[in-house]
Amino acid sequence: MTPPLTGIRVLDHGHVWAGPLLGASFVDMGAEVIKVLAPGRTSGVSMAGARTIGVGTGAPDDPLSYHGYDRGKRSITLNLGSPEGKALYRRLAAASDVIVENFSAGVMSRLGLGYEELSAVNPRIILASLSATGETPGPWRDLVTYGPSLAALYGLKSLLGYHDDPFPREDTADLDPTAAGHAFFAILAALEWRERSGRGQHLAMAQGEATMQRIAEPLMDYFINGRVASTQGNRYPGMAPHGIYRAAGDDRWISIAVRDDDEWTALLTVAGDAAPTLREARFATLAGRLAHQDDLDRAMETWTAGWEPMALTERLQAARVAAFPVMGPPELAGEPNYLALLRSHTELDARVQVGADQIYQSVPWKLTRTPGGIQGPGPATLDADNDYVFGELLRIEEEERGRLRERGVI
Amino acid sequence: MSQPTPAALDHLRVVELGDFISAPYAGKLLADLGADVIKVESPAGDGARAHGPFPDDEPHPERSGLFLFLNANKRSVVLDLDTTEGRADFERLVGWADVLLHNVPPADLERWGLTYEQLSEQHPELVMVSITVFGYDTPYRDWKGYALNATVASGISYRIGDADRSPLWLPFCAADFQGGVHGAVAAMLALRARRQSGEGQHAWLSIVEVMGVYLGGAGIPTFVFQGQLRGRAGKHMAAFYPWQVAAVADGYFEVITMVDAQWQRFVELMGNPPWREDERLENRWLAFQWADELDEYWHPWLRARTKDELAELFAANHIAFQPVQTLDEVVASAHLAERGFWQEVEHPVAGRYRTLGAPYGLSETPWAIRRPPPLLGQHTDEVLDALRAGVAAPAPAAGADGRAR
Repeated sequence: MTPPLTGIRVLDHGHVWAGPLLGASFVDMGAEVIKVLAPGRTSGVSMAGARTIGVGTGAPDDPLSYHGYDRGKRSITLNLGSPEGKALYRRLAAASDVIVENFSAGVMSRLGLGYEELSAVNPRIILASLSATGETPGPWRDLVTYGPSLAALYGLKSLLGYHDDPFPREDTADLDPTAAGHAFFAILAALEWRERSGRGQHLAMAQGEATMQRIAEPLMDYFINGRVASTQGNRYPGMAPHGIYRAAGDDRWISIAVRDDDEWTALLTVAGDAAPTLREARFATLAGRLAHQDDLDRAMETWTAGWEPMALTERLQAARVAAFPVMGPPELAGEPNYLALLRSHTELDARVQVGADQIYQSVPWKLTRTPGGIQGPGPATLDADNDYVFGELLRIEEEERGRLRERGVI
Repeated sequence: MSQPTPAALDHLRVVELGDFISAPYAGKLLADLGADVIKVESPAGDGARAHGPFPDDEPHPERSGLFLFLNANKRSVVLDLDTTEGRADFERLVGWADVLLHNVPPADLERWGLTYEQLSEQHPELVMVSITVFGYDTPYRDWKGYALNATVASGISYRIGDADRSPLWLPFCAADFQGGVHGAVAAMLALRARRQSGEGQHAWLSIVEVMGVYLGGAGIPTFVFQGQLRGRAGKHMAAFYPWQVAAVADGYFEVITMVDAQWQRFVELMGNPPWREDERLENRWLAFQWADELDEYWHPWLRARTKDELAELFAANHIAFQPVQTLDEVVASAHLAERGFWQEVEHPVAGRYRTLGAPYGLSETPWAIRRPPPLLGQHTDEVLDALRAGVAAPAPAAGADGRAR
């Protein structure tokens, strides 16, 4: 069975992370994705390109530059600033289904390539614009941001840190991929609507607003009770214990989360006589554990510190208590569940081999009948697919393509 | 009356056997674009009803802020799947649905006789989406996990927190929301495949994998390509320098300079101090190792200025640093008000409440709250009567049973 997005053509103007990741999602599920970059650019590399991760030259002709979020994509050069380039772009848009861009708000419109213009040449086109703060007027519209600063602006960062210290800690930046995930869903919904109506539409996303959905709970608490949540540590309302506790060994940790008294009772059976403090009456009910959380966490850690984290995890899981050790890349690269996930349905495709036989990427949507998978390495050069796109798709003769190249249009 | 605005998914019928956040958030994404989502709840109700936040912290199943956020636009049907009758009704519902969305443990489905293999025998066109922490076809399939464990198992926590304190999760169950987003994606992908083949399928995902791979939290690419292991660096991110949270006069600021031009502009803004020539700053990918010493050069300049002052300065100079806004500051933002982001919903029990608005705009088929979250079992009779009478498609009761602005 072919992957579900087979036959869909996407023009990808993504840069840095959110856009390129969204394009990669389309590729993995079978779409033809064409990166569009300005001719002569020396850095068209998305975030997980080799320049960013510190190997390779970062030069456009270095294939290492493209293996990350540009996996499986085609790549063309096209000067959108020139009238000829714009005309070619409109022809390309007419032959495409989806356009993905995460430029600053309004850039496409200023180029004369906004939704109005593009839908005039192709009423079925779906234009997805992932700006940081939205395209409508407002004080934040023209701000320069990256995912982490946008997360600060939209309140996400104020919640991440230790519960006893209001100074936020830095995180791994989930804003871009969260926005990309939401956009992928919305574009698929727009494709579904197109099947029924014959019409495309404009998806306009403020990445901050999409990502803010995941802090709805404390925002609702603010609306309902006027409480302003601050740094949370590893705690969560209504669950205790809920923490990451020190285990035996150097910098080893185990996460344990208990939702109700049944799970607590199960945890106590695992602890046995080894941790008498945990058996104190004040910890017997969820209300009691929440009321004495500092003491509870200390008592938990006294117990967990004697355990190798995976051994304790196995014991707790056998008793139906949620637990898992903290792991980093070296362990995850050999961890059986992780490997099973990476390999399910994508087997060999789950690996893109770049100089080493290592696992790199996988596709999280496990469609058992029509699986996706890594389609191949990234394009070898920025203009790797100029002949295919301008020659085969747009039927421009070789001689004319030469002239366009000389004039810097492609 | 104006013409009703079309909704992208108003032809879709979804059964959500969802508890708490992950599957309900997937259901929300579908429902907010028009899908008819029937939420199957146990007699005790979705766990989010018992979670809160509640007004004045007094538990009430119809007043939980988390439940209200996640379940607008849905209908609620109470079924006891531990009874034969409940399971028979559930199977009828599945026969009505295009999509079954769930996050219950696989073992429960087996106990009830409601696995994909069993359901698809009668309903080969069914799309079933399973959202669980450890995945379906995996060694830890039956392990228990909450969002905390998923964050940890994905590798994300490995890099968050201080070197000498515990790793941190992404608070408020961020992992479950990610599971929801990608569950909704999986449903749309499988429906698209069904358009081509006429066949349904089982689509599953692991929240661990979504977090580790889609969010890049495991840092596996960095490890593989660079052989470099980046652990916890507290207020800094162990990557290029600077990428950190820094203190200012009245709060905190996110300071990130991915490209050199940003860093140069910042240094110029501070009046081109002589330390800019410090050779440790030449390669900002290597500079991180001296972060604490380098911070001393410019942190005093930040600490002498307020969030507002700095926000204005950086905006005027096109520098990507932004203030760490507290939630009250976010809600008070003129920008979000001008965009009309916040929504108000009228609910028969909870009254009028504020909630978050659209995650995206769709020009032809806009996101909308069309009906308030359902009361527990509010639509049980309406739906089951229609199903038992053999009506193929129980339609939502005419007219909205609440209004939303």
